[in-house]
Amino acid sequence: MNYFVFRNNTVERFFPKDFTFSGYDDISHVPSEVDGYVWFYQLPVKYEQEKLCSEIRGFAQKFSFVLAQVDAAKPFIVLTMDEGSYAVPFTSGVDLLSAVFDYNASLAQLEENHSNVKLLDIREFTRQYPVSEVFDWKFWFISQMGLNPRLSKPFAEWFARKLDEIALKRKKCLILDLDNTLWGGVLGEDGIEGIKLGGDYPGKAFHYFQEALLELSKNGVILTICSKNNESDVLEVWEKNPFMVLKKDSFAAWRINWQDKATNIRELADELNIGLDSFVFIDDNPTERELIKQALPMVEVPDFPTQPYNLPIFFKELVERYFRVYSITSEDKKKTEQYKANAQRAQAQKSFVDFDTFLKSLDIQITIEEANEFNIPRIAQMTQKTNQFNLTTKRYTETDIHTFLQQGWKIWCISVADKFGDNGITGCIMLKGDAIDTFLMSCRILGKGIEIVFIKNILSLLKENGKRTLKAEYIPTSKNEQVKDFYDKLGFERVSEKDGMNIYKADLSDIDLSVKDYYHIIVK
Amino acid sequence: MEEKVLEILKNLFELDTVDQTCSQETCDKWDSMGQLNLVVELESEFDVTLEPEEIGEMKSFDDIIRILKTKGVS
Repeated sequence: MNYFVFRNNTVERFFPKDFTFSGYDDISHVPSEVDGYVWFYQLPVKYEQEKLCSEIRGFAQKFSFVLAQVDAAKPFIVLTMDEGSYAVPFTSGVDLLSAVFDYNASLAQLEENHSNVKLLDIREFTRQYPVSEVFDWKFWFISQMGLNPRLSKPFAEWFARKLDEIALKRKKCLILDLDNTLWGGVLGEDGIEGIKLGGDYPGKAFHYFQEALLELSKNGVILTICSKNNESDVLEVWEKNPFMVLKKDSFAAWRINWQDKATNIRELADELNIGLDSFVFIDDNPTERELIKQALPMVEVPDFPTQPYNLPIFFKELVERYFRVYSITSEDKKKTEQYKANAQRAQAQKSFVDFDTFLKSLDIQITIEEANEFNIPRIAQMTQKTNQFNLTTKRYTETDIHTFLQQGWKIWCISVADKFGDNGITGCIMLKGDAIDTFLMSCRILGKGIEIVFIKNILSLLKENGKRTLKAEYIPTSKNEQVKDFYDKLGFERVSEKDGMNIYKADLSDIDLSVKDYYHIIVK
Repeated sequence: MEEKVLEILKNLFELDTVDQTCSQETCDKWDSMGQLNLVVELESEFDVTLEPEEIGEMKSFDDIIRILKTKGVS
């Protein structure tokens, strides 16, 4: 299975090896040759609450922008955001809670309108652990991990289980036993007044279970009964026991008799005209369950709890497994109304229709600066670390760079900021005479067209200073496939090609050096 | 300890064979993501905490052994 994951942090460790990943918070590339998609945006780490909240709300628009571009037949697994991913002072207030809530509610709403979208609540996973285990600041600072890498194994297991649940066919109908299933005790022996329903435990637990089943039927699940009892006794209970939540009207059909249950279930299927593979059979008696498993293997037969106080857990698993009403979805759907005003405000603030409008809304500030004492350490570090957007992958030390400058090389670096924050120095270009020796960009900045702006600006500068032609090369590695035709796209002429290595030349008067006017560029 | 580290490197970076010359230079899958996975494996296997400075220096089998020794792993 080859899924493509959109993400804003480092998450590779958590997913199967054959999954592929977007750049950090990069929605510019939406591959079509995949089996499905995952959306996994985590709570950003920053102190300024206003920016944090607007960034989170913006994620929902980004998701909707991506969703509009993918094949509606392909599954899109969407993870919610955990508002408690990490804990710091100042950024855990009501504003943040409401921003995350809005974001999750928007995802839930998109799930409702798109049958391929499946929402998974990450909090179902993270709440099993204390915050100190969910988030590790060391791994945040060294690898931008928003989730502790030590949790990768349990996460992978949880995620696989959720995918299985999604793949299961939704069932339509529940077949319920009565004695010790819908109430405690045996009707035929204990009588109408003697069965345990309502009042103290265990009657209280059965009462609550009936309430749960009633809700399920309101959500469209058909309830039926298959019980070994006298039908007249049951009809009397329905009429006379005041604690009975599920009454005659709650059931679409029933078989209350002494016939074997497999035959009864076949009859129910015929009567309701529903395939046997749409039934789930609930019975406290293991012998009855075993009979149905063997006689009607297409009917689902979950184990039934021996302790009535475990009925709520049983019910939750039942719903998740067979009737797929994700708790997050239903909860958030209801609250959606109440928060609609909020969401609309956020939408008006942040909505964008095309990618240019989106980029424009980011208010991107680009600073291009020549190499100096202060930025040389960072430039050297980038040559050491950058693998993907790196045309030649030449590794240099600070000393190397000092030497190059003395030899007359021209070296520039680029810093990028937008309204969500400052990314610092994230790219550099090095020119040895009229040849581009190195051109690289940190992957977290990709997806906003900044690499094009950067190189075009440098080419313009060179042109103004009287340069007419340039040489450049692409040296392939196992990591830099994505830039193999970067110079071709820019309009450079490929003069030779050997073992995947391309040599280019460019006549600067032939290259289109225009850039979009929404980038604010300062050249120092 | 050496044997255990070699085994971790072999499994993590999906190598057919592994020896003490193993390093970032010789090993294709030992990239930044590989480094992260390696750190988590080593920390849990030897019950140590690796500091970011040490993680930065850790570029070969020899580096790993040297750093683990400073932490009392034998």
